[in-house]
Amino acid sequence: MSEHHITPLRTYLIIAASLLFLSGVTVWVSYIDLGSFNIVLAMFVATVKASLVAFFFMHLLWDDKKNLTMFLMSLMFFGIFVTITMLDTEFRGDLGLNPETKDPINKRAAFYDTLPLTDTHGHPVDEHSDKHHEDKDHH
Amino acid sequence: MEHHNPDSPSHLKHYFHDVNQQYETSKFAMWAFILTEVLTFAGLFVAYIVYRSWYPDMFVDAHKLLDVNKGLMNTIVLITSSLTMALAIWAIQKNNKKLSVLMLVATFIFALVFLGIKYLEYSHKFEVGQLPGEFYSYMGPDAVHLNNPHIFFSIYFIMTGLHGLHVAIGMGLIAWLIYSTQKGNLTSEYYTPMEMIGIFWHLVDLIWIYLFPLFYLIG
Amino acid sequence: MSENTKQNYLNHPKGIMSWLLTLDHKRIGLMYLFSGILFFFLGGLLALVMRFELAAPGNDIISNEVYNNAYTLHGAIMIFLFIIPAIPGALGNILLPLMVGAKDVAFPRLNLASFYIYSFGALFAMYTIINGGVDTGWTFYTPYSTQSTSNVVPMTLGIFIIGFSSILTGLNFIATVHKMRIPGLTWYKLPLFVWALYGTSLVQITATPVLAITMVLLMLERFLGIGIFDPALGGDPVLYQHFFWFYSHPAVYIMILPAFGIISEIIPVHSRKKIWGYKFIAYSTLSIAFIGFLVWGHHMFTSGQSVFSQIVFSFITYFVGIPTGVKIFSWILTMYKGQVSFTPPMFYALAFLFLFTIGGLTGIFLGAVALDIHLHDTYFVVAHFHYVMQGGTIVAFLGGLHHWWPKSFGVMYNQTIANIAALGVFIGFNGTFFPQFLLGLRGMPRRYATYDEQFVELHSYSTFWSGILGISIFIAVMNLFWSFIKKNKVDPGSNPWGGMTLEWTHTSSPPHPHNFEEEPVLQHGPYDYDKVIVEKTYNK
Repeated sequence: MSEHHITPLRTYLIIAASLLFLSGVTVWVSYIDLGSFNIVLAMFVATVKASLVAFFFMHLLWDDKKNLTMFLMSLMFFGIFVTITMLDTEFRGDLGLNPETKDPINKRAAFYDTLPLTDTHGHPVDEHSDKHHEDKDHH
Repeated sequence: MEHHNPDSPSHLKHYFHDVNQQYETSKFAMWAFILTEVLTFAGLFVAYIVYRSWYPDMFVDAHKLLDVNKGLMNTIVLITSSLTMALAIWAIQKNNKKLSVLMLVATFIFALVFLGIKYLEYSHKFEVGQLPGEFYSYMGPDAVHLNNPHIFFSIYFIMTGLHGLHVAIGMGLIAWLIYSTQKGNLTSEYYTPMEMIGIFWHLVDLIWIYLFPLFYLIG
Repeated sequence: MSENTKQNYLNHPKGIMSWLLTLDHKRIGLMYLFSGILFFFLGGLLALVMRFELAAPGNDIISNEVYNNAYTLHGAIMIFLFIIPAIPGALGNILLPLMVGAKDVAFPRLNLASFYIYSFGALFAMYTIINGGVDTGWTFYTPYSTQSTSNVVPMTLGIFIIGFSSILTGLNFIATVHKMRIPGLTWYKLPLFVWALYGTSLVQITATPVLAITMVLLMLERFLGIGIFDPALGGDPVLYQHFFWFYSHPAVYIMILPAFGIISEIIPVHSRKKIWGYKFIAYSTLSIAFIGFLVWGHHMFTSGQSVFSQIVFSFITYFVGIPTGVKIFSWILTMYKGQVSFTPPMFYALAFLFLFTIGGLTGIFLGAVALDIHLHDTYFVVAHFHYVMQGGTIVAFLGGLHHWWPKSFGVMYNQTIANIAALGVFIGFNGTFFPQFLLGLRGMPRRYATYDEQFVELHSYSTFWSGILGISIFIAVMNLFWSFIKKNKVDPGSNPWGGMTLEWTHTSSPPHPHNFEEEPVLQHGPYDYDKVIVEKTYNK
């Protein structure tokens, strides 16, 4: 098996360092409010990281291209799944005949009405004895 | 089983022509398996995307209930374990058995740390009642205004749970690799199982690379 | 050692353990064949019970609840226990390595594991039956499936497990086709059955994982009320249908593609003519496999999905007709001026062409949104998919069994009885399901144990012919097994139909335990009847 490609140690170390660096970047960027651009940026960084893992750690760069094809195929079918499902979910009720179907699922589930209010530790707070707390939290 | 050629190495199965065909076949099948893994998670990613677009505000606010530090820590741990896994293969390619075993042990330990941190996170969520579905009971001041946060936590628990299951399975496989490398069954001549499990392990890393920002950073 | 007692995979090695732990693809295929046929009969029995209940209006034989269980189990068993696993599992396993000249599939152990995983999943299905059945329909639509008190969990768990078996078989076949071909056997020299199995396997490994995760989500919905599919918890039941049909529509092509492959083998061999449009058939297989992933929403035209997606799904659905039409025309052109012999496999192939064309064309009707809203959930749909699934897949499967029976087992069945049974299947099938088109057009809904007086005539007609259909299939299968019991052996070197693919030309019948005594050398393409003369070596 001597003909197999052996990736130099340096490459591995550089890739790992870049992955760690990019993880830091993506956390840092998430604290800056860029509106809807946040998610685009986060997904871009994640894709760069994922490509580094796939091409270098998983050796796709040097492998038979059939293996890469398999991997890309999985992404393509994922894309089909998402896109076509969203053709429905994003356009639900698009005839506008029934306003109810426009936002089919935004009703709050019934069990929330029975849940007691809690503090940040999940312990129920008594609304009468802890009045001052509640005022601060809810108004 | 008979071998057509007495000189052929013991790991060569009789229905293959040569070692290279066997190696390439295993690797190709492994990538086909990776395709099935990606599509298993694809279903969950679709659920995430659809519900995120239906409940944009809830997702953004509910994600603040997760602990970014633990998430980041796990990211670092998992990336490092990916590196040690790659180095284990590199070492066995250079026929350095000792280093290879060492790196596998390191990978195993990192995986354990990952699950440990995950356990801390989960137990906190159980304590405060940030649970999937009808078990959800957290109505703290930072969550009381949210519309159906149990859906966020359902998806969070299912995705990280399935990912955690893969980490656990990976640990089992790595433990087996440590055993067979130590025994000398894997050498620079034949290390196919290590490479296959390596690909699996990197996939686990790869999925976490997406889970981390989707849940911890941008909700 | 005389010619007739030559070593083959059936008699060597011996002993029950050598079967249970076998890694030989032919033996695994045989085990798949037997279990598949067992489930086929079980599902068929349920179908007959339903048909006889429907012979007259009112609850004559079984109650509404039992009827609900019967149609659910009929669908689930036929689809998940017979058609999807058994056809690639049986014929594919036996033939694929032989056709590519390999000694075995790429991963024999996985192959055996796949069979046992299938059996394990089947146990859950059997448990469901013993424990009182399941009444949701084979599609397990939410929200009913999250509320039903019947055995939804054991059945979905069974399907989840069988999914893994399907994935493993698919992986194995893909690796085998890519890496185990003998030198010189290039892609365009592969028999078309191999192309069909390759397309099937691609769909299997791509779609089945989504089924697995869907079943997991459904079970979690029942256990934890995760709310993703439950409208009362802020979820969306239509999303379940998207998830389910993302698998189950491609699964339709998992079921029909192997049948296309079988027909592509039978027609040139029994017409003694080179297949017309080899590349067209090969690529249409792949394009059907791909388009199959884009059209799942045509099962959901009345679900309340967006009108925009209805239009898109309806539009793309029509495209399925193109590669399918290419195949049908290529087969017909293959027969044109060929030397067609009316052997049992050829009878089934001709029946397939007729029945599948009806099934396919009515599919185009159902792809039109406006018409589908009228026909949705009526007997028109029932008739349509039975024309495709039974008239297509099962008829092709029977044809394939008759075609490769002497090859697989070294015995020849009684061809006269086989021909009569084939005719019975054809007439019985049309008699059963053609009236259902009319019933559906007149508004008879599916999944009801009783009906209005006006439908009596067509329903009783359908029931009568379903009896003939059942008996004919039983005779056809028993005729095959009888030859096995009677040991009506063919000469090991025989090539009864004059096939040109490797399994006919380079190995004995039944094949050697390692498939070929020496590695085959390719001398001609799979259908070169224009260049080479192949003699038939068996006469009744």
